Amino acid sequence: MREKTILLVEDNPKDEALTFRALQKQNIQNKVVVARDGVEALEYLLGRDGENGANENPLPELMLLDLKLPKIDGLEVLRRVRAAERTRFLPVVILTSSAEDEDLFEGYRLGTNSYVRKPVDFVEFNAAVHQLGLYWLFLNRPPPNSGV
Amino acid sequence: MSSTVLVVDDSLTVRMNLLEILEAAGLAATACADLADARAALAEKPFALVILDVLLPDGDGIELLEEIRAGPAGSSTAVMLLSTEAEIRDRIRGLTRGADDYVGKPYEPGYVATRARELLRRHATLSAAPARETILLIDDSITFREALKAVLEGAAYDVILAGTGEEGLLLASDRRPSAVIVDGVLPGIDGPAVIRRIRFDAALRRLPCLLLTASEEGGAEVRALDAGADAFVRKEEDVSVILARLNAMLRSAGAPAAAQGSRSRLGPKKILAVDDSETYLRGLAEALRADEYEMVLARSGEEALELLVVQPVDCILLDLVMPGIGGRETCRRIKSVPVMRDIPIVMLTSMDDRDSMIEGLGAGADDYIAKSSDFELLRARVLAQIRRKQFEDENRLMREQLLRTEMEAIEAQTARKIAEARAALVEELELKNRELEAFSYSVAHDLRAPLRSIDGFSQALLEDCADQLDDIGKQHLRYVRESAQDMGVLIDGLLSLSRVTRTELRHEPVDLARLARAILTQLHKIAPARSVSTLVPDELEVEGDPALLRQVLENLIGNAWKFTSGQSAATIEFGILEGSTPTTYFVRDNGAGFDMAYIGKLFGVFQRLHSTQEFEGTGIGLATVQRIIARHGGRIWAEGVVGRGATFYFTLWANRTETRAA
Repeated sequence: MREKTILLVEDNPKDEALTFRALQKQNIQNKVVVARDGVEALEYLLGRDGENGANENPLPELMLLDLKLPKIDGLEVLRRVRAAERTRFLPVVILTSSAEDEDLFEGYRLGTNSYVRKPVDFVEFNAAVHQLGLYWLFLNRPPPNSGV
Repeated sequence: MSSTVLVVDDSLTVRMNLLEILEAAGLAATACADLADARAALAEKPFALVILDVLLPDGDGIELLEEIRAGPAGSSTAVMLLSTEAEIRDRIRGLTRGADDYVGKPYEPGYVATRARELLRRHATLSAAPARETILLIDDSITFREALKAVLEGAAYDVILAGTGEEGLLLASDRRPSAVIVDGVLPGIDGPAVIRRIRFDAALRRLPCLLLTASEEGGAEVRALDAGADAFVRKEEDVSVILARLNAMLRSAGAPAAAQGSRSRLGPKKILAVDDSETYLRGLAEALRADEYEMVLARSGEEALELLVVQPVDCILLDLVMPGIGGRETCRRIKSVPVMRDIPIVMLTSMDDRDSMIEGLGAGADDYIAKSSDFELLRARVLAQIRRKQFEDENRLMREQLLRTEMEAIEAQTARKIAEARAALVEELELKNRELEAFSYSVAHDLRAPLRSIDGFSQALLEDCADQLDDIGKQHLRYVRESAQDMGVLIDGLLSLSRVTRTELRHEPVDLARLARAILTQLHKIAPARSVSTLVPDELEVEGDPALLRQVLENLIGNAWKFTSGQSAATIEFGILEGSTPTTYFVRDNGAGFDMAYIGKLFGVFQRLHSTQEFEGTGIGLATVQRIIARHGGRIWAEGVVGRGATFYFTLWANRTETRAA
């Protein structure tokens, strides 16, 4: 059976460390691939030249996407992911500090599957990651033959 | 042409002659010989113009004038009095009671036809625009105000009332009435001052003003005209006289201002001759009428002054020696009124001596002539003076025209500058708002990330290195985490405060009672152990932004919930204050309350009246509530007693409710 990977798109190394820690705490043993900006994330998913390029990476089971990113921001990453044939069904969870109405609205309009605001309290953060992992990696069933 | 003229005169010659000249001028006319006939004719159909003799076999023509003015046709019928030039009393009486003109007999037929046409033309423009006119009435006596208001409304005017000059001026620029009636004596700025200010106001300077003067106050009329009033009425006169003057004033609005020479520039010039000798006056009138002047005759200086207020003239011939105030004083008074100053005065002296000449000119006369001189010389002098005045009038008209053009240009320029400045300000404000929005966004996003690290790694330290930390070290780390979390809450509070002003307000029906119940249910769920009795009406619909109004109630009810936590029998009530205008809503509790001494701090950002140990909170909630209420056109205030509870009151759309009630 193919390993279920998580793609974490996060530019802040401390947030990255905290997310790793939370996943570990919740016994989520899946491989986590980290992309530090929007360009890295898109290259990982779609290859250097976008959809046409050769791509060796298997599709992740879930993408955790921050919004404020260097180079290409999170909402633009989401837009391109949904536009590409290969990734249009990829489960995406926006994981961000922002709770602005516009970000929420824009995120859902572009087709995110879920939107979670990172709590300041680490205990709450742990709980959120636990729920996320449980739901998206174990409970949720992706569409058949979607490559996911 | 359907305009019809009614001629009322007891002389058959006059009737025939007038019918002839009116017909020649293309006007259909009917003639009557007495008041009874005239009344019958007027009852049958309305006339656009009535040419009316004053002395009639069955009564006084001015009675009929008053009847016409009080009748249904009211101000829409023009009235020209045609009566003997010798009767100055009739002239004054007629003009003050609402006659549009007074032509002296013997009359000049061409002039009567021209005036008739002019009056009819004005009548036509008035009937073409039958818009209801609004009159601003400024008087400090409520009784008088209401009495006159009733009369004016009976004559189909709309009336705005003001009790002081200041209030009146505000209403004048605000409501743009068609005319102003102002009492001469007022608390604060008086009537003449009100009119003077109206004349200085570029937008109002052409507004017709009628001044009400006190009973026998000397010089009141002169002061009225000096201030720029278009007309005045003595206050003890009947209110119907005021109405008649008002009608006449509105009819002539737009025509050149009174006291600026004859109203008609085509007709003959009016000459006022003042002399106590009837014989001399008659001879003078005879001689000047040959030059087609219209003569107005007065027997004393007092009479002359009274007449000048209602009847502008082009030249005055003034006897130096008369009983009463005499020629010298009459001359001085005329010359002291700006609007009359330009009327040339030729002083008539009994002797051709040096002293009389000096006396006459010293009083301000423009010329003098000995009464012993023959009338030929007098006619020449009068002609010279009238020509001079005509030149001056033309010059003044040109100057005024120039000034007006300049002022209009300046006004236009000012308006443009104001608009430009305003556009620049709006643009700057929008830019600032966008900056603020970007700033708030950064606060939301970037300030929280480091807090998460502080909290997260403190927790990691507690978990991973627990064995290397003693109890004090662990306590320190817990404090670090608590502080980070407090700051997170503060940032959220600030964000929601700024969001109140950033987001666009929605206008939807909102049931506040349902919202209140939902919030209370939620609070009960979080703290099921607490027993709180609540009182909320079944339904309370208002208009506003649902999300923002929810925030208001969440804060107020949340506070009530929080501050009653120490009460064993807590009550929270939400509702409408009975009989309040504008409608006042309240949230009341019997909790910790607050000291009214600190009321000023209650709605300030970061202001707290309780310690955090006692009750938690950020001090942002009520500041946010106040902003939301302000955006909903309302006001919020509070009452409290320490240990007895607090009540928060608020209104929504307070101004709008008042308007609706009015």
